[in-house]
Amino acid sequence: MRGVFYLAWRYLTWHRFKTSVLVGAISLVLFLPSGLQLLINRTAEDMTARAIATPLLLGSRGSPVELALNSLYFSEDYPSQLDYLELDRLNETGLVDAIPLYIRYRARGHAIVGTSLDYFTFRGLEIADGRPLVELGEAVLGGAVAQELGLSVGDSVISSPETLFDLAGVYPLKMTIVGVLATSHSNDDQAIFVDLKTAWIINGLGHGHQDLNKTAAANVVLTTSDEQVVANASLVNYNEITSDNRDSFHFHGDLSDYPLTAVLPIAVDRKSATLLQGRYLDHPTLQLIEPVKVMDELLATVFAVQRYVLFAIAMVAAATAAVVVLVFMLSLRLRRGELLTMTRLGGARWAITSLIAAEIIIVLIMAATVAALLNLALVLWGDTLLNSLVLRS
Amino acid sequence: MIRIDNLRFSYPDSMFRLEIEELVIGAAERVAVIGPSGSGKTTLLNLIAGVDIAEHGSVTIDDTQISQLTDSARREYRIEQIGLVFQTFELLDYLTVLDNILLPLRIGANKQLTPEYQARAKDLAGFVGMQDKLDRHPAQLSQGERQRVAVSRALLLEPKLLLADEPTGNLDPGNKHIVLELLQSYATEHSATLVTVTHDQSFLSSFDRVLDFASVNQANSA
Repeated sequence: MRGVFYLAWRYLTWHRFKTSVLVGAISLVLFLPSGLQLLINRTAEDMTARAIATPLLLGSRGSPVELALNSLYFSEDYPSQLDYLELDRLNETGLVDAIPLYIRYRARGHAIVGTSLDYFTFRGLEIADGRPLVELGEAVLGGAVAQELGLSVGDSVISSPETLFDLAGVYPLKMTIVGVLATSHSNDDQAIFVDLKTAWIINGLGHGHQDLNKTAAANVVLTTSDEQVVANASLVNYNEITSDNRDSFHFHGDLSDYPLTAVLPIAVDRKSATLLQGRYLDHPTLQLIEPVKVMDELLATVFAVQRYVLFAIAMVAAATAAVVVLVFMLSLRLRRGELLTMTRLGGARWAITSLIAAEIIIVLIMAATVAALLNLALVLWGDTLLNSLVLRS
Repeated sequence: MIRIDNLRFSYPDSMFRLEIEELVIGAAERVAVIGPSGSGKTTLLNLIAGVDIAEHGSVTIDDTQISQLTDSARREYRIEQIGLVFQTFELLDYLTVLDNILLPLRIGANKQLTPEYQARAKDLAGFVGMQDKLDRHPAQLSQGERQRVAVSRALLLEPKLLLADEPTGNLDPGNKHIVLELLQSYATEHSATLVTVTHDQSFLSSFDRVLDFASVNQANSA
C-alpha cells in the first residue's frame, strides 16, 4: 500500500498545477462555510460585546442603526445631529453622567472622535505612550491607527475634507499627537480622539486668526465698530493650533447650540436608566436607544442573509465536487495508457484501483489541511481582519 | 519451457483470428518471431503473458497452465515470472529512472521494496549504462535510453521468461544493437527464455530460432 501512495504522491507532485488547482478549489469549498460562520460569529460577538458595554445612547430621531453604528463602531455615515444643550439637560436630571460624542470627520480614513476625557474612563482605555488630551488641537491615537499610519507622539495628523471639491466646506486642521492608546481590541483602536472643541474647530464653528487689534493687521481690517471688526478675505486663519496661536482660537455663538452626533448617558443605576428611557419614550426630536437591542435586530438580519450565503456556498460546493469528479474522470481517460501498462506488467487490480483512490485521498487531505490552516489563521488573526474589513466600514 | 496446444483466439468485433495447433519453445531458448503486421505476433506474446486468454486450447509455462489461473493469479505470475519489454517503452513520465525500474514492486509484486532491491535496481541501471541518470524523468532521456530503462524494469525480479514486443522498433541502429545485446546477454547468463517479436532481419542470426508467424498462425493459411 505504501508503494501505491508513493506513486500517487509522485503523480500529484509531477502535475503540480493541476494538483494545486484541485486542492485550492476543494479547500476553498471546505473553508468558506466554516470561515464565514467563524467570521460572522466573531463579528457578532465583538459588536454585541460593545453594544452590551454601552447601555444607552441618545441621539436625534432617525435610524437607530445609523446612530449605533456611528457612535459605537465609528461608521462613516453619521446620524442627524443634536444640540449640546441636550447633554446639559441630561446631566441636570441627576440620573446620568453624560459623555458627548461628535463623530463626523475623518483623518486618513480613520474616524475623528470628538469627546471628553470621561470617554476614556468609561471605555477603560489606557495611554500606552504620551499623555491624555489637555489642550485644543491635540489628538490621541488608537493603537492600530498609530501602527498603521506609522505615527507616534510628537507627530501630527491632518483632518480630511469631507468632499474634495467643497471649497466652501471645512478646512483641514493639523493636530498634534500627544498620546497613543494601548490596544483594546475594539473599535477604539481604529479611532483618533480629540477634545470636543477641537472637533468643533474642524467643523469651522471655532477658529483662530491673526489679532485684528494689532497694527500688523491694519491692512486687512475693513471696518471697526464697538461691536465688531470686519476684515477682508486676506485675513490669515490658522490651520494648526500651536502654543503661540492657541489663545486666538475662539467660538462664535452659543455653545449650547453646537452639534453632537450622540450622547452616551451613563446611568447611575438600573432604576435611573429606566426612568430616563421613560422620559425620552415619546420625545419628538430625540431617541434614547439601547444599542444591544438595535444590534440584535441588525444581527438577526445578518444571520438571515448568512443562511442564503451558506445555501449559495453549498451550491458552489456541489458544482465544485462535480467538476472535481469530472477532472478525475478525464484524468483517468488520459491515463488509460499508463493504467494499461500497469495491467500488462501484472499490476494487481487492487493496486491500480488504490492508486486512483490514494490520489483522491491525498488531494482531500491536502485540501482539508489548507482549509484547517485558513480557519486557524482566521482564529489567530480574525480580529485584525475584522478591524480592517468589517468594523472600519 | 512454453507449450501451446490447440490454441484459438479472436478479438470481439474483429476479423482477426489466431489458431496454433502446437508450438513449443524450449527453456532458455532465444526465439525471434517475425511475420507481417497483423499476423498475430503481439497477440501471441499477450497470450503467453496471460494478458489475453484463449477461447480454446492451453498455454503452459513450465508446469503452470496460464489459462487456468484466476485473473489475480495470472497478474501475480506475470509480474514475478515474466519480464515484458514494449516497443513504446511504456515508462511513467512522472517517475524517475530509478522509480520506473522499481515500478513492479510498487504495483503488486509479493515482494517488499527492500534496500536489496534498491541496490539491484541501481545495478541494473549500471548494467544498461544509466547509472548516472537515475534521477531523470523519461522526458529527459533519448529513445534508446528509455528502452534501456524499460529493459531494466523487465529484469528487476529476475524473470525466467522475457517477452519483448518489437523492442528495437523505435530505435536507431546503435541502440538497437545495445538493447538486443542486453536482452540476449541476460537470457544467456540467467538461462532465461527470450521471445522477441521483431521486424529487423539484421539481428536474426543472433537468435537460436526464428519463428515465421505467417506459418505458425494456421488461421492465416486457412
